[in-house]
Amino acid sequence: MELLGLVNYALFMAIFICIYALLALGLNIQWGFAGLFNAGIAGFFAVGAYTSAILTTAMDPDRIGGFDLHFIVGWIGAMLAAALVAWPIGKICLRFRSDYLAIASIGIAEIIRLVIKSEPALTNGARGIASIPRPAGDIGYMESQIAYLAIVLVVLIAAYILVERQFNAPWGRMMRAIRDNEGAAKAMGKDVEFRRLEAFIFGAALMGLGGALFAHFNRSITPEAIDPMVATFLVWIMLILGGSGNNRGAILGAAVVWIIWSVSEIATDRLPHEYAVQAKYIRLFLIGLMLQLVLRFRPEGLLPEPLRGDLRSTKPGADR
Amino acid sequence: MKTKILALAAGLMTATALASVPAHADVKIGLLGGVSGPIAAMAPAMIDAAQLAVQQVNEQGGIGDGEKLVGVVGDSACNPQNGTDAATKAVNIEGVVGVVGPHCSGAVLAAAGSVTIPAGITMITPSGTSPEITNLEDNGTVYRTVPSDDYQGRALARTMKDRGYGKVAVAYLNNDYGTGLANAFKSEYVDELGGEITAFAAHEEGKASYRSNLAELAKGGADTLVIFDYGDGTGLTILRQALENGFFEKYVGGDGMKSDAVIKELGTENLTTFVSSSPVGEKSEALDIFNEAFKGVGGDPDAIFVTTSYDAAFLLALAIEKAGGDKAGVAAAVAEVSNGEGETILPGEWKKAKELIAAGTAIDYKGAAGDLNFDAKGDVPGTYALWEVGADGFEVVTEMK
Repeated sequence: MELLGLVNYALFMAIFICIYALLALGLNIQWGFAGLFNAGIAGFFAVGAYTSAILTTAMDPDRIGGFDLHFIVGWIGAMLAAALVAWPIGKICLRFRSDYLAIASIGIAEIIRLVIKSEPALTNGARGIASIPRPAGDIGYMESQIAYLAIVLVVLIAAYILVERQFNAPWGRMMRAIRDNEGAAKAMGKDVEFRRLEAFIFGAALMGLGGALFAHFNRSITPEAIDPMVATFLVWIMLILGGSGNNRGAILGAAVVWIIWSVSEIATDRLPHEYAVQAKYIRLFLIGLMLQLVLRFRPEGLLPEPLRGDLRSTKPGADR
Repeated sequence: MKTKILALAAGLMTATALASVPAHADVKIGLLGGVSGPIAAMAPAMIDAAQLAVQQVNEQGGIGDGEKLVGVVGDSACNPQNGTDAATKAVNIEGVVGVVGPHCSGAVLAAAGSVTIPAGITMITPSGTSPEITNLEDNGTVYRTVPSDDYQGRALARTMKDRGYGKVAVAYLNNDYGTGLANAFKSEYVDELGGEITAFAAHEEGKASYRSNLAELAKGGADTLVIFDYGDGTGLTILRQALENGFFEKYVGGDGMKSDAVIKELGTENLTTFVSSSPVGEKSEALDIFNEAFKGVGGDPDAIFVTTSYDAAFLLALAIEKAGGDKAGVAAAVAEVSNGEGETILPGEWKKAKELIAAGTAIDYKGAAGDLNFDAKGDVPGTYALWEVGADGFEVVTEMK
């Protein structure tokens, strides 16, 4: 029994890590490749989650839809919707320098959250949407977790391969050139604004997909899930800690941060009974401490950005 | 660094695995609550109340053959991410028989949907009031000791109509609690009873001033303001600013507004026109017993949701006893130990209950928060009263039907 429990817990953590890794990959496209400081991950996460929820749930007279479509349609819809929302935002905000973009994107995520909370006709308001179908959800507890993990793993690996290919392709080199020296890239004839918009939209689409995977896993989505703490800043910590600019780093960061976040609670539970409530704050402290240590001793992250980028390039530091 | 951190993570895991070798004499229940996060101020008292039930069970003979009941606290942080995480750990690592909590509806929906329903673990939430929980396909494993917001909103509307309230304005906190109550109130007051609501507006929490919101609300000419909010938070600010500026004559609050903070901050003399609805136990004997016991362990019995938390934990213990060590039978047993038929069990009467269960007699738990007779969907009908502010704090004006 004990072993089965551990396996179930590990499966659950693996699913969450995959979902967060998708968010971190999306952020890596925006920040790691293109240097866009997006502090509104929660907004795109929410758009994806709600779009997929609306597309795949059964008819509900109280809100829009319930279109009862296949979950794959929902997930593609989630990516499209997140990309669609990202387009005008990027169009307007990407003209800002990075710090202004951060402020604007926080505001936009907050707007999205408030719209979701305040428009019952669209999203069922603060009550959220329940009874979202979960792929392979009707089999036993462990089996359905294994099946869902397999699905999210496939999605994550596909996303990773695509993003990694882009990173090594001329497109990736160009993005890094724009990030590191905008003027030089412009002088080379690159359309900086359009390329930034591209990166912003691709990243947002991945975040939307992450949101959809999350909603289907929990079979519900409520505005409480769009808390910036767990949907924006945790992802940033994952990427910074894992190594921005490195896709494997993004995934590793997601794994390390989530494992520590989750497992540390079990460790703090070993404290005496009367500290049970206070002990919960230790993990917040742990995550903060970890970020401080990484920034102090290894600012480039656990797996730093490969300096040569494309392994085919011959000269070291060719794109710096 | 990488290896160090991985080593640390691995070390934590190993420590955990070693530490969680079960002591066989323990029966564990999960107490999941929003310890960190937006309801961090409310959660400790709720968890303490649940722990009181655990303590009473252990003092009076424990579960089954003298086994110790242990409440494992988990932090659901009022969001689905941490809610499912905490529930997964409780179910798989701690091996709990049932779960009390999580506290927030969003965490309840997610934890039930992805963990406890598939795993067949009983969940009793003391404060998840969202009507969405009613319709979960839960195979009868999800219960709650707090009524759905629907009940209270409708009951309050009927009572106000009976007492001759006319045009009202409604201000509600924009979360599942406030929205649920306000919508139920509106549909009963306007659609069923033909009352008039002149303004109906949500507000966000934590602002310093709500005067502009209040001015908007007052425009329609209503003399009564109905507030669905928390009396130790934003609701207090709204009530204070409305009183200071004389926006309305009369004020009505939902159960969240029945907080001692309101009286302490605003003073009895200023609250003569303020009434508030709140759940009461039909037999307040049960409530008195709980209040005494909770005071005895240093708790504040007037804190919000402590009665429902206590009841949830006590009910779960009764159900575990009734099911006799059969994990899968706990869910059905919850409804059996509190369905209005059988020998009455009051809060803290564990020994009596244990003997009756051993003898095979049907028992009926009457909780501190009400009789708790579950319907087919695991919901309880509320027993509400309207309270006014008197010399000694809140006093019952009338029962709400």
